[in-house]
Amino acid sequence: MAYSKLGLTKTLTYRGISLVIVLFGVLFLTVIVLGATGVSDRILDSMLMEELRGIRQQLVTQIKDVEQLNKAVEEIKKQLIIAYGLDKPWYERLPSMMLKIITLDLGSAKNIQSFSGSKQISVIIMERLPNTILLVTTAIIINFLIGLFAGTWVATKPGSIIDRLVSLYAAISYAIPTWWLGLINILVFAFFLRLFPYTGMFSAPPPTDPFLRILDLLWHVSLPLLTLIIALSGSWIYITRSLTVTTAQEDFVNVARAKGLPENLVQRRYIVRVVAPSILTNVILGLAGSIGGAILTETVFGWPGMGQLYYEAIVSLDEGLILALTYMFTLVYVIARFVLEVLYVVVDPRVRY
Amino acid sequence: MESYVLEVEKLNLAYRTLRGDLLAVNDVSFSLKPGETLGIVGESGCGKSSTAYALMKMVPSNTSIFTGKIIVDGENIMEMDDADLRKKVRWKKISMVFQGAMNSLNPVIKVGFQVAEPLIVHDNVPKNEALERAKELFKLVGLPQDFINRYPHELSGGMKQRVVIAMSLVLNPKILILDEPTSALDVMIQAQIMNMLKDLRKSLNLSIIFITHDIALASDLCDKIAVMYGGQIMELGAAEQVLPDPKHPYASKLIGSIPTLRSEKKLDFIPGAPPDLVNPPTGCRFNPRCPYRFELCEKETPPIYILDGGRQVRCFLYKGKG
Amino acid sequence: MSIFSEARREFWRSYTSKAGTFFIILLSLISLVVVLTMPLDFGTKYWSNPIYWVDYPKTSPPAWINTFMSEKLVEHQVLYSYTPVQVEDLGGSYMKIYSFTYDFKYNQFPSFLTFRIRGLTFYENPPVIRVHIIRPDNKIISLLTYPVSTEGVSQTAPYVLYKTEPKRFLLSGDPSLFRVLSDFLYKEFHISYSPEKVYSVGVEKIIFGVPKDDNSFEPLNGKYQVNILLYCENENDSLGEVAMVFGGRVYGLMGTDTLGRDLFQGLLFGFPVALLIGLATSILSTILGAVLGIVSGYIGGKTDILIQRIADIVNNIPLLPLLIFFTFIFGGKLWVIVLILVIFGWPSLTIIVRSMVLSLKSSNFVEAAVAVGANSIRIMARHIFPQVAPFILAQLIFYTPQAILSESALSFLGLGDPSIPTWGQILDYAFRNGAVYLGYWWWILPPGLLIILSAITFVLLALGLEPVVNPRLRRRR
Repeated sequence: MAYSKLGLTKTLTYRGISLVIVLFGVLFLTVIVLGATGVSDRILDSMLMEELRGIRQQLVTQIKDVEQLNKAVEEIKKQLIIAYGLDKPWYERLPSMMLKIITLDLGSAKNIQSFSGSKQISVIIMERLPNTILLVTTAIIINFLIGLFAGTWVATKPGSIIDRLVSLYAAISYAIPTWWLGLINILVFAFFLRLFPYTGMFSAPPPTDPFLRILDLLWHVSLPLLTLIIALSGSWIYITRSLTVTTAQEDFVNVARAKGLPENLVQRRYIVRVVAPSILTNVILGLAGSIGGAILTETVFGWPGMGQLYYEAIVSLDEGLILALTYMFTLVYVIARFVLEVLYVVVDPRVRY
Repeated sequence: MESYVLEVEKLNLAYRTLRGDLLAVNDVSFSLKPGETLGIVGESGCGKSSTAYALMKMVPSNTSIFTGKIIVDGENIMEMDDADLRKKVRWKKISMVFQGAMNSLNPVIKVGFQVAEPLIVHDNVPKNEALERAKELFKLVGLPQDFINRYPHELSGGMKQRVVIAMSLVLNPKILILDEPTSALDVMIQAQIMNMLKDLRKSLNLSIIFITHDIALASDLCDKIAVMYGGQIMELGAAEQVLPDPKHPYASKLIGSIPTLRSEKKLDFIPGAPPDLVNPPTGCRFNPRCPYRFELCEKETPPIYILDGGRQVRCFLYKGKG
Repeated sequence: MSIFSEARREFWRSYTSKAGTFFIILLSLISLVVVLTMPLDFGTKYWSNPIYWVDYPKTSPPAWINTFMSEKLVEHQVLYSYTPVQVEDLGGSYMKIYSFTYDFKYNQFPSFLTFRIRGLTFYENPPVIRVHIIRPDNKIISLLTYPVSTEGVSQTAPYVLYKTEPKRFLLSGDPSLFRVLSDFLYKEFHISYSPEKVYSVGVEKIIFGVPKDDNSFEPLNGKYQVNILLYCENENDSLGEVAMVFGGRVYGLMGTDTLGRDLFQGLLFGFPVALLIGLATSILSTILGAVLGIVSGYIGGKTDILIQRIADIVNNIPLLPLLIFFTFIFGGKLWVIVLILVIFGWPSLTIIVRSMVLSLKSSNFVEAAVAVGANSIRIMARHIFPQVAPFILAQLIFYTPQAILSESALSFLGLGDPSIPTWGQILDYAFRNGAVYLGYWWWILPPGLLIILSAITFVLLALGLEPVVNPRLRRRR
């Protein structure tokens, strides 16, 4: 008993460290790039100017003499330059900048506001994060289940017409850009057929009654979810099917039957249970793609999540927000990945050291 | 007349392939008494493994012909439906250790559970009781008892082999089939396993069918030897009679081709290749490679001739002698 | 040699290979034609230059949809004339008449009207240009009176104007035409429209229509003759080209976008770009990944561990956010995109190749080569590489569609190379202009279909190659 517990901890620790390195690596890389290209100077500069403007506005009510006002502002500006670290070269600001981001002190956005009116980036992000998680996680779970059931079912009929259709469907859906499919879906279902809304997460204004609110949410999430399912379930089904077919041919499955075990038990314990780690691996592998997909899908459907925020940041050229979002995406990815890795080690005893 | 634990009569098994029907098992008959060990020897592809699978009625989906009688403990399992077969015969009366035991274990389930599983599923034995029985079996095959909590990847090849053997014994079968149980193991482990089998045979009064291409191994363990070629049994008899004095030309070439240490004897080998089982040679299957062949051999398939002492030979050389 | 011919035979056996080969040849041919016939700076010079597209109808579906319409949409027409049909000597000056006929047979009105002249040459005083149109009901409208301005003309005769850039008169927005039409309506139909009302109703309705009681206009079908009169002093004065653009509501093979850009040209140009990006990215990352994989697997030891760790970490980095970050910082130049895709693309191949090399390392012929005394590089190049080459080739082909899809995703987000029209970029522009919400299907459907087509081509090829690479998958004869 003690043997496997130790192995578990060791494996997880190793994986955890690996992922933390990824996070820091990304952070380090982005901060260096920002510094070296002079972009971080620009960001800090504009933040400084912004703060200075606010201070000036405040002082205008207090100091009536223009000369005095300007001198006071100049003094404060000098202090701010030191406070922002703009008097030092960018590589000396590195550690404090990294520390700030790690502690989620992300500064404020240029033009974008949160729904509550705050310009604090961390507030904006925290508002949008649940929406992204809602959409992405639901899509992954549905696709996983479709893949599992349809895939194992198709695997019982290898070489049949339905099998070939599945392969064809998988190949085609691999080549279709999910975001374009989203555009087409909006065109067909919203514009031509008028069945679903064009954009957004709720109607404007959203209904106040909680039940109607949920219904409204479901109505709005249908099209993005449908897009993600059509575009991605194909490869899920195909992968599950391939893995199941391979596993079903293994010797131990034969042995299970020879042992006189009923067929559905053989399916569950000797095929699906054995295949589960590999399928989980695929979830892990697809995770990075899901993040990218989230960005694109949210943009197309106007879904107010982190992905759409990224798009808005690009359009409004808000470097500070883009930096913060790059880090946040990586953070979310690392956390999600770690959770899945834990799940994987639980499910597959072979990887425990 | 002592009762037989296994009687096989005129067993035929053919698979459908792109080129035609492949006759893997042809007119095979033999019987087994309780506690007896039968060794089935022959080259690769001669039908030994197919016979074993047939005995368990585990034939693939592309089977075209499957006829004959297989009487296990008085019942002809060929006439049983799948449900009965699963509940009453498989693993309970007759179990098997497959070739390539390395891959016979489910990689994500503890080995102790896999051994105990038939008890839990078949006989509704509660889990901890079943695991106790697994521990006993482990002891029997020479494995430490706490190994029941290990996973297959934590065991060596020899250990896995022992687990598989333990697994095959869990429901106290009367007949145990072993298909090349030691071919992937080194000589030392091989010897250990063989000794273990001998002990088990004695203590459990087990009937064993031992399939191998290694005649030396077979001679060590088996009471009776059957020599198969091209899907047919060519010779069948007591080991102490067949081995020193094989009657069938193929058997004598096969047994003669075993190298003995420090012998001056020149190594015999059999020229030619094993027969194509889709289009077997006309007449006796061995005739293209047989040094003693004559005209009749190419025209008709020889039947089994029974000689003194119950020895069976399928060869026209013994026509009229049995 | 027989390995190759057997490989080729195996490859040809499936439909996927045949289809894939067909499409790749098709794509390559189209790209070749594009590269040979279209200017390489098409992107910067024409596509990004709105002025070039001024005479095209805006957001118009393709012309061929008229075959499915019961009521045909107005087709875009440009009528030209190069030589005068008549020259009149007015004693001391001349009047040259250029003319063409517009056959109007639709149930809706043209979308705009533009008059254009190119290559005006005169020797003495600047000429005066007049344009009028004679309707099928014989009413005449004077569309334009233009005394030529001498701005920018050369110092000595002959004076040449509008040689490089034509002079355009956007009649649909010409205030003096509004006044003319206001008078015309009053005089001919006793309807009183102020010039502002003429503007809001649209000049095309008045010129090409007949007013009805309910304040609407019914199209007047028939032949309209357009006369362009050049009043000049020297008989050698001439106009190189006169043209009238009757703006349609459909255009071309693929329609136009909001700037009037001919989508057919834009989409065509996307072919070689897509192929280039896809292949460049996959070739480079395959080379990098394979080399590192072979070195890592064969050399082993510290090098192996180092490469493995780096590959592991890079593989764990989510691609799109970083891709967005870097293109944002460095600009969406093509080479930046390719570089980033390569940098993040090599680890997956390295990991697989390494494990293949590890099992090859202990194979007989490698051991023999070592025993003979061959050095590592030689062994890697001559013994190991040929064994993994087919797999690497298959991966290369399989990675290409990923590159194409990644680039189009980037372009869609607005981070692509703005000077080159790619299919993703066209879609970006479409989305930003609300094409989805306004139903401009011809703007959205074709670029996506082309992306799919080029991605599928490589997927088919990769699938066709699989049995060659992985002998276990070969179909039994």
